[in-house]
Amino acid sequence: GIIERDETPMEKEIALLHRADFEFSHIFYFCRKGFEAIVEDEVTQRFSSEELLSWNLLTRTNVNFHYISLRLTVVWVIGVIVRYCFLLPLRFTLAAIGITSMIVGTTVVGQLPNGSVKNYLSEVVHLTCSRILVRALSGTIHYHNKENRPQKGGICVANHTSPIDAIILTNDGCYAMVGQVHGGLMGVIQRATVKACPHVWFERSEMKDRHLVTKRLREHVADKSKLPILIFPEGTCINNTSVMMFKKGSFEIGGTIYPVAIKYDPQFGDAFWNSSKYNIVSYLLRIMTSWAIVCNVWYLPPMVRKEGEDAVQFANRVRSAIARQGGLTELPWDGGLKRAKVKDTFKEEQQKNYSKMLVRNGSVG
Amino acid sequence: RGVPGAFPAPGTSLLSLAVTSEQIEHLHRRFKQLSQDQLTIRKENFDSIPDLEFNPIRGKIVHAFFDKRNLRQGSDGLADEINFEDFLTIMSYFRPIEMNMDEEQLDRFRKEKLKFLFHMYDSDHDGKITLQEYRNVVEELLSGNPHLEKESARSIADGAMMEAASICVGQMGPDQVYEGITFEDFLKMWQGIDIETKMHVRFLNVDTIAHCY
Repeated sequence: GIIERDETPMEKEIALLHRADFEFSHIFYFCRKGFEAIVEDEVTQRFSSEELLSWNLLTRTNVNFHYISLRLTVVWVIGVIVRYCFLLPLRFTLAAIGITSMIVGTTVVGQLPNGSVKNYLSEVVHLTCSRILVRALSGTIHYHNKENRPQKGGICVANHTSPIDAIILTNDGCYAMVGQVHGGLMGVIQRATVKACPHVWFERSEMKDRHLVTKRLREHVADKSKLPILIFPEGTCINNTSVMMFKKGSFEIGGTIYPVAIKYDPQFGDAFWNSSKYNIVSYLLRIMTSWAIVCNVWYLPPMVRKEGEDAVQFANRVRSAIARQGGLTELPWDGGLKRAKVKDTFKEEQQKNYSKMLVRNGSVG
Repeated sequence: RGVPGAFPAPGTSLLSLAVTSEQIEHLHRRFKQLSQDQLTIRKENFDSIPDLEFNPIRGKIVHAFFDKRNLRQGSDGLADEINFEDFLTIMSYFRPIEMNMDEEQLDRFRKEKLKFLFHMYDSDHDGKITLQEYRNVVEELLSGNPHLEKESARSIADGAMMEAASICVGQMGPDQVYEGITFEDFLKMWQGIDIETKMHVRFLNVDTIAHCY
């Protein structure tokens, strides 16, 4: 190799040297970042349950379960007996009562002609059954800023940690649920409740068509007498330490968005549903044998899309508000990464950011 | 080389990254995750790390894991696959400084890290970093930005080589040719910059077990 020796003036030469010096520290930075990513990466970390700093006597939250002392083991065994033999049957019974009342109640109310009486009774049934179900999970929920509670004709948006998020919210208000039609018990509940209250259930085939979904939701929101819709824009359950990217679809519908932040206290029970690890039944079993579900719900002031703001920017704005309130970290990641790979356009964007940072810092005058 | 699947005992390699058996366990779990429960990892396995995708020198970092010079195998060239012990060997280059290191250990420590970095630049394994190799690294660093001209990358690389030449050879005559940066020259360039504190990955000390005595 030969060095090209050109006749550059001294100032430029110094500037060049400055850049070279600067570039070295970036090699380090990227090298280190690369190794950190290899040792542990931020994304997969979010998809495994939050590690607790002190044990809460549930082996499921202690990955390195070791034998510590006889006393601790005895306490733990007592805990197991209490949870499985006492709490579980009690909760199961309550849950059964709650679900049955929901189905029976909404079917009965559904027979009535449409009108204010029907709406009132539907609300009563939904609220009561929700409350029974929350008791069935030994849920202790603190609601903050109730004055910002979602109004009719609006869209309620929240971060998603588990399937029971919906019950947590309906405990305090009535919403129109949005979701896919399921089979089995869930399907029965869906069919019963939609008679009493205009929930929006989609067939699986309909879900694929984004325009159809958006159209139906728009129609619902346009009708100011209808209950606010409840949407979880992350698209999948995250482990409640961070908020991932919001799918922009929810933010294209229009209308007023009422953001809600939900934060579970992991000390009493881990509410996160790792759907690739556990199915719904074993998940519910785990929930019902935890000590309790304790969580905080913050109702944030309503937001609307500003002039010139596109759906993605609006989604990010809402997400920041939720993350800030709940004390969650914002990650520029897609919840879909739990199952898929990084999108190429996104990669390019990030690479541009890195080199922009490099060049900006290195440029002189 | 030991029973496959068992952890190597701490201290088998001269510089082992993980000091406690807990940290080795963590790395082993990570290894199994990357290798999808196989005994060895190949280059393709690194594709499953989303955070790594955005790293501009991703190619060089992954390459470093398979570089036989880094694996201390005495031979040259690239390995097709590495096992857990090799993985630990590479990770050991990023070991943080320990409090009780003496002068000699610190010096050896630093040399090891710089050697690792040197191998990253010297892609044709000839023991010298040529101008072209240096340019390649800088171009990769700035590769993400399509608006940046190749000229800027080249001028950064050229500036660095000139500096290296001046440090190592002093004033050069107009006919002299600078072959490339050898490892000794590389060491001289880094004098005064404490890379030991910049080039490491620290393990957090989180106790997941309750204290109940």
